[in-house]
Amino acid sequence: MNDKLSHSGRAVGQTVKTGVLAAFLNTVLIIFSFSCIFPLIWMFYSSLKSVTEFNKDIIGFPTQISVQNYINLLTNSDYRILPSIINSVRTTVISVIFVVVLGFIVGYILSRIPFRGNRLLYVLFLMGMLIPIHSLLVPIYVIFKRVGISDHWYTLILPYVAFGLSLAIFLVDGFLKSIPTALEEAAAIDGSSFTRTLFQIIFPICKPILTTVGIITTFQCWNEFSFALVLLKNPKLQTVSLALTQFSGQFSTDYPRIMAGMLLTMLPILIFYFVFSKQIIKGMVAGAVKG
Amino acid sequence: MLNAIRPKNRVIFGYLFFPILLYIFSVFVPLAAAAYYSLFEWKGGPKKTFIGIDNYLTLIKDSIFWQSFGHNVFLVAACVVGQIGLAFVIVLVINSRLVKCKGLHQTLSFFPSTISAVYIGFIWMMVFDYKRGLINWFLTFIGKESAVKVWLNEPQTIMIVVAIPLIWQYIGYYMVIILSAISSVDKEIFEVSEIDGANAIQRAIHIVFPLIKRTLLVCVTLCVAGNMKVFDHIYAMTLGGPGNESNVMALYSYQMSFQRSNMGYGSTISIGIFITSLLLIGGVQLLVKAYTKESEDY
Repeated sequence: MNDKLSHSGRAVGQTVKTGVLAAFLNTVLIIFSFSCIFPLIWMFYSSLKSVTEFNKDIIGFPTQISVQNYINLLTNSDYRILPSIINSVRTTVISVIFVVVLGFIVGYILSRIPFRGNRLLYVLFLMGMLIPIHSLLVPIYVIFKRVGISDHWYTLILPYVAFGLSLAIFLVDGFLKSIPTALEEAAAIDGSSFTRTLFQIIFPICKPILTTVGIITTFQCWNEFSFALVLLKNPKLQTVSLALTQFSGQFSTDYPRIMAGMLLTMLPILIFYFVFSKQIIKGMVAGAVKG
Repeated sequence: MLNAIRPKNRVIFGYLFFPILLYIFSVFVPLAAAAYYSLFEWKGGPKKTFIGIDNYLTLIKDSIFWQSFGHNVFLVAACVVGQIGLAFVIVLVINSRLVKCKGLHQTLSFFPSTISAVYIGFIWMMVFDYKRGLINWFLTFIGKESAVKVWLNEPQTIMIVVAIPLIWQYIGYYMVIILSAISSVDKEIFEVSEIDGANAIQRAIHIVFPLIKRTLLVCVTLCVAGNMKVFDHIYAMTLGGPGNESNVMALYSYQMSFQRSNMGYGSTISIGIFITSLLLIGGVQLLVKAYTKESEDY
């Protein structure tokens, strides 16, 4: 009905109505987006307060900006802020490299080269996406301990790479289906070896999908918590989420300090997200929909 | 045709050997090990006693396990409605011609889904805190002191309280997925329907919804799989408490194995998680398939 009325008396009525609607919709969205980012803002300005000031007024801006929390955290080596960041970066970078390279190789072979057991292997790798990883928590702990590979710097890399491979192989396989085989044939005729063709010709072509794989794996490894909790006992090896749980247990009432610690350990991934947010959103969505 | 340039078996084997070994060692060996250990009474020490299926009989009668399973199912339901439902509504808003700064809204609302679940848990623990939390501050601010509560210690509402961070974290994620599905639909369909006089709500139900149904079903599957493995949020916020009122399967298996060091029964719970999750995900998939088939018939 409304629409019909505005057809006749267009000009003024319509503009006012649209204006009100536009204001309303924009407000709704701004409130929503703000709620997504507000905890981060709240944590940031609260971390610049002292604990007494925070307890008096949890929402107000700091009257006196103090970076004492940050100085304490970074100078006291008991909190392991910097070492835990280094551990997380190392684990994540190595895992991502392995997932991308191995996912690419296995995905390519399974997609292009026929051999006995090819489909069986493909199904085996895809099953990894179905298996609820938390059902592997206890047995992986037992096996890793038995074999003597728990509590080392490389311990987490093994399960992270294995769990990441399934999606990587699936995405690479799907991507290669849209790429004609003519290039490989031409390369072979020119006398290029399998290995050379694989890395110098196919690898660059697969860059878009490998970027997606890399982005998804980066967030998975950086954010992973339960396996780190179970497999690492040595405090020197702690990743950021582990360091955070310990640290916030220690200062359960000192919120500004916990917030400062959270922000410091979030920094690498925060920068990564806000610099590459467009590619990251695109990559994560592509991975989710296809996977 | 590719056979001419097919590499030798030796080369293929060389490339596949390491990844297959690693994968089997980290996925299938543990799975088999869990099935094996689940048949023993084993407190983590050197002594293991074979007890057959006794652990499974205990599991079937274990009220805490089924309570935790119920909490997982509750979270699945809450998140399907909360995440995908709200995301759909917000997508309709953001897709309107009248809205500005769409890219910025996407970047900001997607942000929480990239943060570690443990951090999300800690952030919300602070939000729900009794003395220093934002919720109670807000309730006092609007003059509703009577509603102030120790949120993380209320057995009746705890599941809703722990569901909120989960829902909040992933709305932006599903929003972006749905947006990308809509943007792949021909714009003319929307314009024509607008000219024909369909209002916004009619357009949403009769035009947008059917067009992106497939994507919505993908979202539901993702949502089910994601919430069957909830662990980090609950670990950070309540550790399953008060009592077991917010416990979930993965956390229960962790507590049983590592805090009560009952490795045998912990393995049984692991197998329980494996079976219940697969059944639920499989069941949802079947429902989804039946549903899409049915609606394609007309």
